[in-house]
Amino acid sequence: MGQITLNKVTKSFGEVQVIPPLDLDINDGEFVVFVGPSGCGKSTLLRLIAGLEDVTSGDIVIDGTPATDLPPAKRRLAMVFQSYALYPHMSVRKNIAFPMKMAGVSQEEQQRRIDGAAKALNLTDYLDRRPGQLSGGQRQRVAIGRAIVREPAAFLFDEPLSNLDAALRVGMRLEISELHKRLETTMIYVTHDQVEAMTMADKIVVLRAGHIEQVGSPLELYRTPRNLFVAGFIGSPKMNLIEGAEAGKHGANTIGVRPEHVRVTETGPWSGVVGVSEHLGSDTFLHVHDTGLCDVMTVRAGGELNVHHGDRISLTPDTDKMHRFDAEGLRIA
Amino acid sequence: MATQHSRAAARFMIAPSVLLLLGWMLIPLGMTIYFSLLRYNLLMPGNNPFVGFENYSYFLSDPTFLTAMLNTLLLVGGVLLITTVGGILLALLIDQPIWGQGIVRILVIAPFFVMPTVSALVWKNMFMNPVNGLFAWVADLMGLQPYDFLASAPLLSIIGMVSWTWLPFATLILLTALQSLDSEQLEAAEMDGAGPVSRFFHIMLPHLARAITVVILIQTIFHLSIFAEILVTTNGGPGVASTNLTYLVYAESLLRFDVGTGSAGGVVAIILANIVAIFLMRMIGKNLDA
Amino acid sequence: MARAVTPRRKAINSAVAWTLAILIFFPIFWTVLTSFKTEAQAIADPPLFFNFDWTLENYVTVQERSNYFRHFWNSVVISVGSTLLGVIIAVPAAWAMAFVPGKQTKNVLMWMLSTKMLPPVGVLVPIYLIFRNVGLLDTRTGLVIVLTLINLPIIVWMLYTYFREIPGEILEAARMDGATLRSEILYVLTPMAVPGIASTVLLNIILAWNEAFWTLNLTAANAAPLTAFIASYSSPEGLFYAKLSAASTMAIAPILIMGWFSQKQLVRGLTFGAVK
Repeated sequence: MGQITLNKVTKSFGEVQVIPPLDLDINDGEFVVFVGPSGCGKSTLLRLIAGLEDVTSGDIVIDGTPATDLPPAKRRLAMVFQSYALYPHMSVRKNIAFPMKMAGVSQEEQQRRIDGAAKALNLTDYLDRRPGQLSGGQRQRVAIGRAIVREPAAFLFDEPLSNLDAALRVGMRLEISELHKRLETTMIYVTHDQVEAMTMADKIVVLRAGHIEQVGSPLELYRTPRNLFVAGFIGSPKMNLIEGAEAGKHGANTIGVRPEHVRVTETGPWSGVVGVSEHLGSDTFLHVHDTGLCDVMTVRAGGELNVHHGDRISLTPDTDKMHRFDAEGLRIA
Repeated sequence: MATQHSRAAARFMIAPSVLLLLGWMLIPLGMTIYFSLLRYNLLMPGNNPFVGFENYSYFLSDPTFLTAMLNTLLLVGGVLLITTVGGILLALLIDQPIWGQGIVRILVIAPFFVMPTVSALVWKNMFMNPVNGLFAWVADLMGLQPYDFLASAPLLSIIGMVSWTWLPFATLILLTALQSLDSEQLEAAEMDGAGPVSRFFHIMLPHLARAITVVILIQTIFHLSIFAEILVTTNGGPGVASTNLTYLVYAESLLRFDVGTGSAGGVVAIILANIVAIFLMRMIGKNLDA
Repeated sequence: MARAVTPRRKAINSAVAWTLAILIFFPIFWTVLTSFKTEAQAIADPPLFFNFDWTLENYVTVQERSNYFRHFWNSVVISVGSTLLGVIIAVPAAWAMAFVPGKQTKNVLMWMLSTKMLPPVGVLVPIYLIFRNVGLLDTRTGLVIVLTLINLPIIVWMLYTYFREIPGEILEAARMDGATLRSEILYVLTPMAVPGIASTVLLNIILAWNEAFWTLNLTAANAAPLTAFIASYSSPEGLFYAKLSAASTMAIAPILIMGWFSQKQLVRGLTFGAVK
């Protein structure tokens, strides 16, 4: 089981309230990602759940039991830290065994779980090494192994991939997703990277300045961002936001069109001058200037498109997939 | 990272250290203040009447007190001057590329590990002794009269001995600080046309500021209480020529057994040390981010 | 920081540095050398450098006449005992200040440092009287207590600066892994801080070994460590240079060697972490 409920949770550091009253339900087995720009309070929120920080007010309930006043050790949660936080003076085996040793698990059972975790995480050959002798990815796996053997109610991940290089990051992302599918244990994952959020989450919680901006599945957030912030944050490259007369035509203060919903056409309602074009093979991202609509418009076009810097092109937006926002920046249904 | 659990634990964990130090400070301090108001001599048993500030007026009006004050200041100031300036120069020299830098370093810091009584006796007998000391022999070689250091210039001699112990300390710390100076900074300054002198004053000295502060602070703490060197060389003499405040209070209390006056002197010493300490703590508070 | 200099410059620098280093070291060298001479050779004019009959007789005499090893053992017990006791008291305090810092942490640290500024002579009389009344005068226990207290601030400071370099996340990980505070400090913090704790221990043994205010004032024949034992040579045995030298050599040798080994860590400890 791993059902976590936050009721009107707040957190203040001195006079500064970093988390205003916040409610959130996390269901058993869900993969929940907290995403937001740095300083949005996502890590603080995770640490409140972990019990590494006290809530200022409000309640945290884990599996129906009030956990607000429980110390971290009693919450049956396991955490994987950004720096991995491995014990440098212990071998990999001892690192993984540590939580079980603390819980008084029998030697045979410890051995059994260590072997299981090592096998699942490809660590069998490294069990007697020290963390200092491992690569970043291997350290990450040890940290995960240490979390798994506790058989926790939920896993907490605090930006676990941000210290890895890009190639490893993609691999570990898949491994963690795979692990979630296999264990079916609740996972809460904090990241500032919306790609990680989109690819891994069952449910994304978008945070800004301690506020929840929107909660939903990746596709819900992609299709129906509740406000301008979410619209701008989710999706890569970023959604084009257009204000002024063009928005007025659609009865909105601001309209948003994702780069993939603008096509390069022979003739079209919009036009502009091609600036930099990024050829990725599969796609080409065009940065179009002088559209009179917004500063630079990003357009995703086919991979084989042949346009050059300085060409004037016509663009046609996909009006069905246009997002409309009012003066407060809220979505107009 | 802090929860109420951990904060409560933290208070509990700090408590022994704080309580012990608080006890160590307050109990004897209270007693010293109390004794300082009594007529209390261990050689004259009986009741110890309350005499108010009599001990203080006795202690402060004694001309020895002024001498002791002056000697204390000269001692601290003299040693600080020699060790800080000498330490900077030595550190700069050793920091240069030289052969056997490691061995030079080991030789230079060695005196710091010599206990005060050993250092004092070795200097007193084997070097400064006007008959058999090495200095006398050197003077003789040069056709000079041997000089009786401890009789003729007791305070200066003690300043010399203490500096011998503490020059290595200053050198070691300043050298370490110098070695942490990014050499690219110096190279950049050199490219910018700074000569050796301006490199020293504009880059090295500011970099050393923190280390110099610390050298001064730590040494002041120790030098205000210099005792062993005086006890085994001059016993404060001749007369009171090398008596510092610490030695004076010791003499009142444990040689003349006048607890009352000794305590009054102790209180005076504490007040003076606190005046110095306030300055120093200001300085170090700025330089040491806790 | 190897800057390029001309060989000539390097030679001059080296010559000056070596000359100064040898001058600074000379008194120690001379003491050691004299300890191997006879009393007559020790005061020979002109002084003898290597052309004398080396003898160990001074070392034997010092031990026989004044039971040197008893004082040596007193020094060991007092310095090691006070250091270990201090570390045991200071580790929890340093843990708290390094990992659960509060608004008052810096003030508490500064206050602890300020207790070092209390001149010992200001509390000499009461400590002397208390010790006399409870029978701690001239006992090793008494000195262990006093030296623990006077070095406690330095131990706390040193440990604090070492602990601060340990990432807090690792201790949080231990907490998440179900470690109690005791396990956290015993199994995670302490092993990780072994190098720091070791240099703290080393420095404090050195400081306690050489402490010469309380050891001189609170001991007599019984518990006198080497500082006080050597002071007894001040007269008239001080005139026996060779024996004085032998006793001195033995008193400083262990600490000199420890000091040489720990010179790097020493700087940090002596400067409360301000210079590394």
